[in-house]
Amino acid sequence: MKKKVLAAFMAALTVTAMLGTQVVSASDFSGEDPQIEKKIKILTIWAEDNDNGILLNKICEDYQKNVNPNFDWEYEMVSADNLQQKIATLAASNDLPDLFAYEAGAPLVTLIDSDKLVNVSEFLAETGTEQYLNAGAGELMKGLSGTEDLYDLPLGLNVEGFWYNKALFEEAGCEVPATWEEFDAVLAKLSEAGIQPLTTGGSDKWGATRLINAYAVRTMGNDIMTKTANGEVPYTEEGLVAAADKIAEWAEKGYFGEGITTVDMNTAGSMLMSGKAAIFYNGSWFTQNLTDESQNPAGKDGIGFFNIPVADESVSSATSYSMNCGNILAMDKAKYDDGTKWFLKYFMENMGNLAMEEMGTVKGYTYETAAEDMDPYTSLVLAEIDKSTEGFAWWEAKMVSEVSKIAQENVQPLLNGEMTGEEYMQSIQDVHDMQ
Amino acid sequence: MKKAKSGLRGIIIFFICVIEIYPLFWMLTASFKQQSEWSEKPAYALNSGFYVQNYVDAWTRGHMSTFFKNSLITTLVSLVFIVIFSVTVGFAVTKMKWKFQGAVARYFSFGIMIPVAIALIPLFQIYSRMGILNTRTCLILTYIAFGLSLSIYLVTGYLRSFPDELMEAAVIDGCGIYRLMYYVVVPLMKNAIVTVLVLQFFFKWNDLLFSMTFISDSSLKTVQTGLLYFSDEFGSKNWGAIFASVSMSVFPMLILYTALNKKVMEGMTAGAVKG
Amino acid sequence: MKKVLGNKKAIALFVVPALILYTVIVMVPVIWSLYYSFFSGSPGLQWEFAGFENYARLFRDKNFFNSLTVNFKYIAVVTVGQVGLGLLLSLMFKFWLRRCKTIIRTLVFFPVVLPTVAVGQLFAKIYEIQPNYGLLNSFLSAVGLQGLVQPWIGQASTALWCLCIMDIWVAMGFYSVIFYGALLDIPDDIMEAARIDGAGSFAMFKSILLPLLRPMIITSLVFSFSGTVKMFESAMALTNGGPGSATKSLSMYMYDVSFTYNKVGYGSVIAIVIFLICVLGSFIINRFDVKE
Repeated sequence: MKKKVLAAFMAALTVTAMLGTQVVSASDFSGEDPQIEKKIKILTIWAEDNDNGILLNKICEDYQKNVNPNFDWEYEMVSADNLQQKIATLAASNDLPDLFAYEAGAPLVTLIDSDKLVNVSEFLAETGTEQYLNAGAGELMKGLSGTEDLYDLPLGLNVEGFWYNKALFEEAGCEVPATWEEFDAVLAKLSEAGIQPLTTGGSDKWGATRLINAYAVRTMGNDIMTKTANGEVPYTEEGLVAAADKIAEWAEKGYFGEGITTVDMNTAGSMLMSGKAAIFYNGSWFTQNLTDESQNPAGKDGIGFFNIPVADESVSSATSYSMNCGNILAMDKAKYDDGTKWFLKYFMENMGNLAMEEMGTVKGYTYETAAEDMDPYTSLVLAEIDKSTEGFAWWEAKMVSEVSKIAQENVQPLLNGEMTGEEYMQSIQDVHDMQ
Repeated sequence: MKKAKSGLRGIIIFFICVIEIYPLFWMLTASFKQQSEWSEKPAYALNSGFYVQNYVDAWTRGHMSTFFKNSLITTLVSLVFIVIFSVTVGFAVTKMKWKFQGAVARYFSFGIMIPVAIALIPLFQIYSRMGILNTRTCLILTYIAFGLSLSIYLVTGYLRSFPDELMEAAVIDGCGIYRLMYYVVVPLMKNAIVTVLVLQFFFKWNDLLFSMTFISDSSLKTVQTGLLYFSDEFGSKNWGAIFASVSMSVFPMLILYTALNKKVMEGMTAGAVKG
Repeated sequence: MKKVLGNKKAIALFVVPALILYTVIVMVPVIWSLYYSFFSGSPGLQWEFAGFENYARLFRDKNFFNSLTVNFKYIAVVTVGQVGLGLLLSLMFKFWLRRCKTIIRTLVFFPVVLPTVAVGQLFAKIYEIQPNYGLLNSFLSAVGLQGLVQPWIGQASTALWCLCIMDIWVAMGFYSVIFYGALLDIPDDIMEAARIDGAGSFAMFKSILLPLLRPMIITSLVFSFSGTVKMFESAMALTNGGPGSATKSLSMYMYDVSFTYNKVGYGSVIAIVIFLICVLGSFIINRFDVKE
């Protein structure tokens, strides 16, 4: 009895102690910004005048102007192809930038495991900024790293799905498909009407693997690729082979036209917009091409969007979307200090609104404002994001880099008919086994 | 018969010229194309209008003026050293008599065989310890060092067929080694030097890997970095602007080269080889 | 003469600065990466001593052997193509051309100066099949060979050869200029004498020009060889190693291993293999030089 009381008392003590520290640290970051002198380095893959480049520079500028005149920043861009090389080189010299763009999933996990990154969950708790992070985005990113805590910040909240050319659908008399059966029927109908039903970025590879993923998830559940990565389900599972075969079958039927492995995402996108192909799988970032009049001959209302059709509502629901946070933002642990924290606090508080005001996009942060005269494509995407109740990741998201490389490379022979669905999945399994 | 033959020759030569020049022409037309033209019309189609916006984009968004200057400085400085070193080392290992002649020549020729990417991480650490990362110096040093092997190799190739008699005559006339180099060897090597110069110029000019790895300050970046401004995260590329950038970086150089080349060729034929 | 050419001070002045620079910036990193090859992971990221594990791994690695095969095919075709066509072109310039020598000599050099990105894109457009037929497919379809229209760089059977053609095209002008330079250095009277003796074109080429050009041919072969062993940029620009891994070279694989898989140690081992192939190949080519 006595013991119990003591234990309860101790427990209460610890709680107060914990509360105490929390109060202290929270008060640390609740007051005025102490205007610490700080210069941060940012390494990204966006030009200063493009997409996240604009936002990152703007938020630094605002912070310097409105809050902390002693703050300064250096912005660097490398090509997306060389990002990993640059980060590896910097990591080798223990000289990672304060903030840098990186790839979610396996690449990020390598850095987490090497203890290079700031624990973002702790940062959010310490500065009391959790509420500024979109909860869905946070869950998605934790899921991708497979960690309890968060180690990165989102720079996008994208849904993916099928973009279609409305005029071509009308010409062939097609309706937007809701189920996979209907989808197959639509493809056949378009093909009969002499329209190329599908296009994808076969030379960029990931565009094509997304299609396999789409079918696999809808027939086997949202978490199927997590299961395979954990080893619960082999990559050679029947349903996955069927998914690969599905894409191979489309290719064989000529739904992609000739030589799809030479078409890049860019070309595929313009084929959709110029009416050379009817359906193109891509993410919500595609709106930046759609809204550019010099690129989009289909005009403001020429292109529509539908989520991946459902095979079995109980396996994967119509409101679950393929989602991603784009390239994410990570923070070097060694250079992380109070100056960084104050800046990041400002970043958290303002990023959502800034992204909405400047570009009308959701970057994974909460926002209160609305963009003025938003164009129809942007509002279409926002509506889709609102509809989503659940998200699942892309095909290679959970694979370690060797496996992901093979999964991407071999999708080309799969499309060319040089490999069967079974061989394709087996090749992935082989590399998976070697790890 | 003879006429037909020379006519045929003319046609073949003309054909060769066409396949060598066509890409430049194509690039020029491509640089005036609008984004939508790429998928609507075949790539070999002429540009439907002159979409000058590509050049405006390339110049302003691609920061061409800054990058151009940086490239020019780093390239020219490293070229001067590459030429000096390759001629002196090349001469020393082929024509001069000393113990380690062959060994040194072979040592330098190893450089041609090294896959560049493997040196990146160690080199980065070396520069980082020397504290010269993110400066023009480190880029220039890298360019010189990695340009040496090939240049020395080319120079030795030329020098091996270099007539000894000329040198002998000069030595009998009382030339020392430095005067011999300056007045006899270098003038006769003009052809080789121009080849090295031009080749290395374009290698350095087209470098992206080194400059992206060692330079982080955008006011020091080089011209190829400008191309990055026109492709994005998800593979979307503004080809018109990319080709406008490429054209802007290539054509002034080509004109310079053409002018220079002619002059050097004239010097060549009027030179001592004939005599 | 001997005294002048044996001037120790001059030799030191000529050689030492370049030697130091070259050693520090090229050779030290290479030896450094030799040391790396005994580690797993990437420096700073899961970096652990692994002994000879990386070397053992090489022999089990299917992807490595695939790249090796691709690379060898490429070397064989491109080296011969570049040097052979270069030589042919230079002979044409020397003996067929009467006018515009300088201009044509300048023009054929142009492809070398173009950034690889641009060349890759140009050829991708030439081989294009979707959304529009490129130059090649349009031509085939225009002359009635519709059956030959195919995704040239999109299928494993033709992609590598298309890449080879591109790289031969890029460099043949360069080699022709080099050979032309060497041809100019051959005194006219030697050829004149041979012609008076009644030597035909081919005999003259074989007995007079070839021996005189041999050093230059060897130089070019070694240069072209070591360039092709390191095949990287052009394949990146045209096919990005695809389709599948049909055009993936050793250097590309090395880059992937080092920076995508974060295994710099294993990447170093592959780099050593590339280096050894270069050394061995150059050695063999140079063997042809002794007869001089």
